[in-house]
Amino acid sequence: MRKILHVAQREFLATAGTKAFIFGILVTPLVIGVLILLVPRMSIQDPPAIAGSVAVIDPSGQVAAGLAAYLEPARVEERRREAYQRLQEAMPPALRSASGMAGAQAAGSLLGNVPRLEVVALEPGTSLEMAKKGLGTAAAATDGAGGDRLALVVVHADAVEKQRGADRFGAYDLFVRAKLDDRVIEEIDDGVRDAIVGARVSRAGLDRARIEDLTTVGRVQARTLTAGGEGRTNEVLNQFVPMALMGLLLMSVLMSGQYLLTTTVEEKSNRVVEVLLSAVSPMELMVGKILGQFAVGLLVLALYLGLGLIALLSFASLGLLDPALILFLLVFYLLAYFSVGAFMAAVGSAVNEMREAQGLMTPVMLIIMIPWFLWMPISRDPNSALAVVLSFVPPVSNFVIMLRLASSTPPPVWQTLLSVAAGAAGVFVSLWFAARVFRIGLLMYGKPPNLATLVRWARSG
Amino acid sequence: MPDAIVLRGLTKTFGTTVAVRDFDLVVPQGALYGVIGPNGAGKTTTIRLILSILLPDRGELSVLGHKSAMDAKDRIGYLPEERGLYKRMRVGQFLAYMARLKGADGPDLRPRVRRWLERVDLGAVEHKRCEELSKGMQQKVQFLAAIVHRPDLLILDEPFSGFDPVNQRLLRELVDEEHRRGATILFSTHVMVHAEQLCDHVVMIHRGDKVLDDRLSDIRARYDPRNVLFEPLDPAADVGALARLPGVERVRRDGAAWDLRLASGAAAASVIQQAAAAIPPTRIELRRPTLEDVFISIVRAGSAEGDDATLRAAVRDTGAGTGEARS
Repeated sequence: MRKILHVAQREFLATAGTKAFIFGILVTPLVIGVLILLVPRMSIQDPPAIAGSVAVIDPSGQVAAGLAAYLEPARVEERRREAYQRLQEAMPPALRSASGMAGAQAAGSLLGNVPRLEVVALEPGTSLEMAKKGLGTAAAATDGAGGDRLALVVVHADAVEKQRGADRFGAYDLFVRAKLDDRVIEEIDDGVRDAIVGARVSRAGLDRARIEDLTTVGRVQARTLTAGGEGRTNEVLNQFVPMALMGLLLMSVLMSGQYLLTTTVEEKSNRVVEVLLSAVSPMELMVGKILGQFAVGLLVLALYLGLGLIALLSFASLGLLDPALILFLLVFYLLAYFSVGAFMAAVGSAVNEMREAQGLMTPVMLIIMIPWFLWMPISRDPNSALAVVLSFVPPVSNFVIMLRLASSTPPPVWQTLLSVAAGAAGVFVSLWFAARVFRIGLLMYGKPPNLATLVRWARSG
Repeated sequence: MPDAIVLRGLTKTFGTTVAVRDFDLVVPQGALYGVIGPNGAGKTTTIRLILSILLPDRGELSVLGHKSAMDAKDRIGYLPEERGLYKRMRVGQFLAYMARLKGADGPDLRPRVRRWLERVDLGAVEHKRCEELSKGMQQKVQFLAAIVHRPDLLILDEPFSGFDPVNQRLLRELVDEEHRRGATILFSTHVMVHAEQLCDHVVMIHRGDKVLDDRLSDIRARYDPRNVLFEPLDPAADVGALARLPGVERVRRDGAAWDLRLASGAAAASVIQQAAAAIPPTRIELRRPTLEDVFISIVRAGSAEGDDATLRAAVRDTGAGTGEARS
């Protein structure tokens, strides 16, 4: 046991004590954090305000004026401000304050580059071909304001008034210059629709303000009723927590498993392994290495979990995370790591260099990534047959059950227990397999083995 | 006092290849044994069997009084033929780690490691990473890793391979020191000269079979010298007279000298006397049989395989070491 601990200690220090590890583990989240803060700022270099004209061929004579009113800079700005306000309200309060700085700037950018668009009504008889040619060229002679002609709106003759016998109103065509900002296109498009609706309403002799009044109902946020009282439902975080927990589990298992594979291959290709085998038994060596990397994974898990908890705390959303989930996370990390890690150690012992390991690892990696690919269907419907079945198939079970436990409708207790049992069985099989392969593989050099060879070793060992 | 190593009828096969066949060996405590034989003879397999790194198909063994070396690992020091270091580990840390794995721990461990490093002129590299060391330095560190915990039994597999002559001498001194301290030493080599220089008992393996197991002095006595080396003072002297001396069977050139083979029953002393009288010599000596000669004669007696030159090349230090992997 003392020797196992010596091996584990060396394994841990040789992995977690390297610059690469410290850089990768500590600096990566730091970089991500900085990027989150920086990217909005970098995208807020004030783009030049767009100025130009929108030509309209309008047989009804009523749409162009409505469009011109819709595109007035003051009204565009007002609409944008309202949209931003709605977005803010939809965000959880904590995120709102967290994104306060960037948010204010984002709002500034939204408001800052209001396009200055002048509506030019062309003669109804203007040829479409001629009008199209004017697009994109420096202001056509007929346009008053400076800037290029950005768009051409052709309102159909029956857009405002239905043709006799027709079921529907006509619509319009919109031609735009190449490389026009999609927000401007959207603005023009919305404006034409609004103007056409306005024209139809007044043609029908109705009061538009009254109709809008009658058809508007304010939006509300759903509130969650819990024993602790009333809280605002937050769909964003509700989905984020299960995914984050499973991602964390997957990441720490894969990371420490990969380290285990690398150090085992290294010991073998360095030929240090025979020296070690004169001091410890293959089993002691394997268990020591697995334990050492277990500690590495635990460190990673603790670091990121800690960061996550701090983040939740600062968003005042700590209540979203059930403390039992952290316990489950540790239990399933243990099960997932030991089943995946033992296999990695076996593969590492069997090959001569990392390149040979890749071939053996690919099928295993694909299996482990299944829960990642199925994240959406499982988290949408955590009690579907697929989710339930996968909860009992190790090593995938450990990740799937974690996802389900963190979801809005956790699985029944018996399923959790059965999943733990399945995971433990997986660990047992994996350790048995690894112990047999490890002993034979360590001193085997030469032709790289395939999975069938490993299975044969395990059965003969 | 029980024997340090006892092997009885040990057999190990790999597939269809018999690596070691019905091997018996008794190494008393405090002895210095050399296991010799060309590459592929079964030396490494024998050693791995002794250390329980491999398990025998048949046979029994006892190491330091235990049924398996596993139970006595802490009292054994082992330098494998395929040896390595943790490249990124620091030299002092590596030796301390190996010592700890062997159960040697405590406050005096690091000072002891330092003393050993100084003993082999590596005091300055204690805090360097192993990968920064030259190959010769790495080999010294590897050797220290085998002895740092003061083992009762020291097993060295081709310890001299790859060492330059100066370090080979240092290694011989260190092995000698360990022997004087009381450690039992078993080492293997394919270079017969190394065994002659170091050990007092020789075990010879050829193709998995033990073909010789005796004290070096007894071997020499048994393989009675039948050759006289004669180098004339005048290189141009006519040596035809030597061939006509009574008791000389044939004369063969050997470099600048001549090799006189004695006829059976001829007394070496009288041949030497007559040869010196016939032609003034600058050197004349009775050739003692080398282990190489013994090996050749044993293999020759067993079968008519290979020619002498090939066999001799297989048991000489070519300076290239033994790079190929064997299991």
